[in-house]
Amino acid sequence: MSISVKLDRVLLDRGMSLTELSERVGVTIANLSILKTGKAKAIRFSTLEAICKELKCQPGDILFFEDDGKPIRHDD
Amino acid sequence: MIKAIGKGSLASILAVALHVVRVVVWIAFAGLSAAIVAIPFLPALARFVGAEGDIDVDAGDFVEVLKHFITFGVTLFVVERLLEILKTLRFGSPFVKENADCFRKLGWALLIGEGSKIVISILAAIFDADVDAGLDGITLISVAAVFVLSEVFREGARMKEEQDLTV
Repeated sequence: MSISVKLDRVLLDRGMSLTELSERVGVTIANLSILKTGKAKAIRFSTLEAICKELKCQPGDILFFEDDGKPIRHDD
Repeated sequence: MIKAIGKGSLASILAVALHVVRVVVWIAFAGLSAAIVAIPFLPALARFVGAEGDIDVDAGDFVEVLKHFITFGVTLFVVERLLEILKTLRFGSPFVKENADCFRKLGWALLIGEGSKIVISILAAIFDADVDAGLDGITLISVAAVFVLSEVFREGARMKEEQDLTV
């Protein structure tokens, strides 16, 4: 069971780079990379809010719950 | 107010003191090793230099030397581990898994050191030696404190990792 992050896909859809998102939300590229690569252990509501605001998306567009690699809910 | 890290801090003063202790214990080790080799020859040496009175060497003397060997060995091990812990404090955060392991090893070393007193007491009784090797309550409590500290550091390291990976 794990939470997977699909930030790269949302960034691709919006045509935005990680550097640009970093500047807009005020989170370092290093921290966004941790989030993007799925190494993050936790995400603050304030960070999630800022990311969703800039990418004009819902938290569910970025975070997915997977049961042993099998997505429970997948919004394409 | 004394600083936590850097020049003139308690950690740096402790590190210097521990380095001194390490050198002293190594010298003591060398002395003890020399004593072990020399003990059997002491009566002959006494006769050679014409010393008055009898010098008897018995098993009790070896029990005494063994006790000091264990004490110095444990001291050296503890000093080395403490220096490792102080090094992590100097180079960043002390809340790493390695320090938790270090504290656990410290606890075991102290426990084995204290437990060895039982063996020394038995040997002293067997060889009728006058060796003071009773268990010390304060040391046993200290051992428990070190084990608790080890678990605190383990949890601290986990929390630090989580903190570092929170975006």
